[in-house]
Amino acid sequence: MKQARERREDQPAFVLHAHPYRETSLIVEALTADYGRVALVARGAKRPRSELRGVLQAFQPLTLSWAGAGEIKTLTRAEWRGGLPLVAGSALLCGFYLNELLLKMLPREDAHPQLFRDYQSTLSKLAAGAEQAPALRQFEVQLLAQLGYALPLTHEVDSGLPVDPGARYYYAFDRGPRTLASEPERRYPLVRGTTLLALAQQDFSAPDAAVEAKRLMREVLDHYLERRTIFSRRVVRDIQALDEIADEDDDS
Amino acid sequence: MEPLSSLEELTQALRCLPSVGPKAAQRMALHLLQHDREGAQRLALALEAAARGVRHCQRCNTFTEDEICTLCRSSKRDATLLCVVETPADLMMVEHTQAYAGLYFVLMGRLSPLDGIGPKEIRLDRLLKRALDGAVREVVLATNFTNEGEATAHYIAELLAARKLKVTRLARGVPVGGELEYVDSGTLAQALRERRLLAN
Ligand SMILES: [Zn+2]
Repeated sequence: MKQARERREDQPAFVLHAHPYRETSLIVEALTADYGRVALVARGAKRPRSELRGVLQAFQPLTLSWAGAGEIKTLTRAEWRGGLPLVAGSALLCGFYLNELLLKMLPREDAHPQLFRDYQSTLSKLAAGAEQAPALRQFEVQLLAQLGYALPLTHEVDSGLPVDPGARYYYAFDRGPRTLASEPERRYPLVRGTTLLALAQQDFSAPDAAVEAKRLMREVLDHYLERRTIFSRRVVRDIQALDEIADEDDDS
Repeated sequence: MEPLSSLEELTQALRCLPSVGPKAAQRMALHLLQHDREGAQRLALALEAAARGVRHCQRCNTFTEDEICTLCRSSKRDATLLCVVETPADLMMVEHTQAYAGLYFVLMGRLSPLDGIGPKEIRLDRLLKRALDGAVREVVLATNFTNEGEATAHYIAELLAARKLKVTRLARGVPVGGELEYVDSGTLAQALRERRLLAN
């Protein structure tokens, strides 16, 4: 289908990722407030003295202008908006994780203004050095809700009864918490009521709630990712493994 | 199916070069055969020799034809300093400054989860071993100031600092001769955050 040529000026945006394209250009995947995820060719951005390249960095608020028809448009201007400290240190890996989730789960050109605000506020927290795990869990829940997979967390799906913090449930994908008795086939992740409520309230102070919430969200996300793997998770694991190997060498 | 002719084979082979599409590959192949047979011979020999002979230095991981490269073998270098860079080109840039007399480790990349590059792909295990050889006192992190370069520097720093090594990072800010009016806002913002004391 032939799409009409469009022109957008100074749209609030974040770069999610950029990869080389032809000799001197980049293809930039960006998250915009009003047009969702867009793919833009940044012509000449790989040239040694291109000003674009320094601007087109992830985790920084930008305004982007573009024009064109079809799936990949042409970037016509990129400006640094500022106002967000640099995401640094281990928070960078969290940022890569957010971007990878968006690239793999969010279809192109599906507008989600609320998701854009959620993303920006998650980045602000990470840049400010807030605790990373709760920020990530909150974004995961927000992302799924914006994609139309809002997670029921506070009530059992079958009876409609409130989730009992002391009980355990099977978390049925696309449906919600089910009691052990109503799910005899045990096809779903097992989770405590406290953890479901922790996710609903975004308060992970209960013992082991953070660890269990991470595990549950991972299984839920994997269900929607349908075999696309999130490489950022492997990177985190490999770094930890490296730390342990080096420790063993120290001891010997 | 008929086997590829030499010309087709050459055109296909040229496409392994970055950003060379079918048209450009055909143009290169025809040019070599039509106008520059001598150049073609020379290219073939050079490629053959390089592909066969060039490997990674056992100490610094850069390209060399020896077990250990000349820089690593040099007695004039300060073995207590180890500078970590992303690419051989970055190594040459640092060398060009003549402001650094230590040794190097070349990662041949940087952590970039979105490109499928993790610690295994850039051989961080080899860097750890190299940095912990007992002679190195300070590791200078000269990875790029991109998110990927920063993440790489951060994790190397964490791994090494836990093992009592001094770890430093290149300073960043307004370029030499830079006029504020022409410096990009991101650089200026960071230079403000990382401002240093001149008088108290
Ligand atoms: Zn070497």
